[in-house]
Amino acid sequence: MKVLIVEDERSMALEMEAFLMKSYLCDLAFTAKQGMRLMEDNQYDFILLDLGLPDKDGMLVLEEAKKNCPQASYIILTARGDLEDRIKGLDLGADDYLAKPFSLLELQSRMHAIARRKSGLKDSQVDLGDFNVDLHRRAISFNGEDIDLSRKEFDLLSYLLLHKNRPLTRMQLSEHIWGNLSSDDYDSNYIDVHIKNIRKKLTVFAPADWLQTIRGIGYKIKL
Amino acid sequence: MKLLTKLTLFVTLSKLAIVTLFVWLLPLLVEKIAFQYTNYYLDQQKKKVLKVINQNGIDYYLQGDSSYGSYTMLKEEYISLEPARTILPDTIQTSQRLVEGDTLTYRVLNHEFSYQGKPYMLEVGKTTATINQYNRPLQKVALYVLIGLIAVTIITDLIYTRLLLRPLDVIIRSKLVNSKFPFKEHLQPIKTSTSDFRYLDESLIQLMNKIREDFEREREFTSNASHELMTPITILQNKMENLLMDDLSDEAQDRIIGMMKTLNRLKRIVSSLLLISRIENDQFARSETIDIKSLLQEVIDELQDRLLAKGVQLKLSVPTRVLVKESNRDLLFQLVYNLINNAIRYNKENGSIHINGEFLGSGDFVLHIDDTGIGIAPEAIVTLFNRFKKSGRSEEEGYGLGLSIVKSIADYHQLTLEVSSKLGEGSRFTLIFPSAIITRKA
Repeated sequence: MKVLIVEDERSMALEMEAFLMKSYLCDLAFTAKQGMRLMEDNQYDFILLDLGLPDKDGMLVLEEAKKNCPQASYIILTARGDLEDRIKGLDLGADDYLAKPFSLLELQSRMHAIARRKSGLKDSQVDLGDFNVDLHRRAISFNGEDIDLSRKEFDLLSYLLLHKNRPLTRMQLSEHIWGNLSSDDYDSNYIDVHIKNIRKKLTVFAPADWLQTIRGIGYKIKL
Repeated sequence: MKLLTKLTLFVTLSKLAIVTLFVWLLPLLVEKIAFQYTNYYLDQQKKKVLKVINQNGIDYYLQGDSSYGSYTMLKEEYISLEPARTILPDTIQTSQRLVEGDTLTYRVLNHEFSYQGKPYMLEVGKTTATINQYNRPLQKVALYVLIGLIAVTIITDLIYTRLLLRPLDVIIRSKLVNSKFPFKEHLQPIKTSTSDFRYLDESLIQLMNKIREDFEREREFTSNASHELMTPITILQNKMENLLMDDLSDEAQDRIIGMMKTLNRLKRIVSSLLLISRIENDQFARSETIDIKSLLQEVIDELQDRLLAKGVQLKLSVPTRVLVKESNRDLLFQLVYNLINNAIRYNKENGSIHINGEFLGSGDFVLHIDDTGIGIAPEAIVTLFNRFKKSGRSEEEGYGLGLSIVKSIADYHQLTLEVSSKLGEGSRFTLIFPSAIITRKA
């Protein structure tokens, strides 16, 4: 899959590239002009577009880009609070929107969600040890029997699954689960509570040793 | 005392004083004028008498007698002529004369002159009774006219003062009482020909514009600064996230985690400040109508895990179908979320929370959130909603912007936010929704 990152903050673009290049082919553009040229010559699956570009209004860039690369999925990157832009962006056909500052994990999770949405039911089933996770139905089952997880518990599990083999901090997890409402370390403690509950509910059926506690950091799904 | 009252009082009292003075002076004045006029009149009479004596000769009147006397029928005036011994200057005095057996008080002019070498004394008299006869009616009429005039002037004064002071009232009402900080609407100068009021009005407009500009500049600064801080924070966060993927020693990993925690704290502070500044900048639409009970239920569902984990019982007694008009759902959600989250957070294990909503007699809707938590010290309550004030409530992190956000959202929706607490027993947060934004769904 090919990704174009249009972001004028070089070091931010580079970090996004460093993160995404494990699973995607990335091109970088630091101005709207560069971005437009790359779009003319390449086909992208994802275009990550910063709205605050120095040489052109982000909304116009999006409009033109959609003509050049109509098949691509667009994620708009914008400073938090540009609510108007958000609405306009979604109207213009952006697939999602991420407010700065965002976590790269969150970016990847949004990209996965879009990809899953576009591919239909194909990629929505994942095996997790002896369990099966259906991201589309938002359910986890053992031998065809659904296990009752709360909404937050499932969110947590699927986020860890998405970033499997990578330790996620309690903070990163609580930011994903509670978003804007996450307030401080206090919330992180509830991640432990949720993980404990998930383990309790799953181990009734089979061991869940793929869900690991990483000392000093948080949790990881090892597959 | 009101300026108008003061002026009215002054105008009335000063006029009353003038009337009193006039009433006191009037008899004296009238009497004095009457006497002076009488003196003048006697002098004129004297001149006429001398004139006729010169024309007709003195013997025409004396007719051989040594003296002459004449008086009117009612003895109101008399003239007498008799020989004198010496010639003295004229005198006018009040004295008594015996005329035909009646003793009457006269104003008497005494004139001595010589005629053909012989000295004569001429007396012209007028009874004092006739002198003062017009005094009383004159005084009465003068008094009535005066009172009438004063009444008219008092009324015109009052009307005029009222008119004159009206701009002051307009200034106070339009500029001070009814204008809400931060004075968003454009201020109209008032129409008046009184330059003092214009000056006051202009000064107020200038002052308010300056306050608004300063306030806006500060808000803009907070908003811009927060915005500008976001990009470097994102870059740092992303760098650390990438770093964490590498194979690191435990020590290095711990340090990065520590850095991420610190950065996260910074991020939250900046985000909260930005949120507050956006609320204060009116950047959220208030166009939704929200059912209070379902909003509360939604927040409670969101926090259900925490209630369970801490064993906190929550009782919700709020009437159904109470709607809040002109509000922003996301903001109100956050407000209620923060309050209930705190009620859980600072509660005791197996404590309880009671959310109670009811209508007040005034039509306002009041929502109490009571907890059985650790409570807030009285000295901390005062600064509870201030930004960056350590409330002593959260030992982990002192910067409780959560309640500042609550306050901003409440203000933004014109809700009154109150808090009362007993240390060790619990706290009560109260939200009062004004009747103007509350409706009941039928």
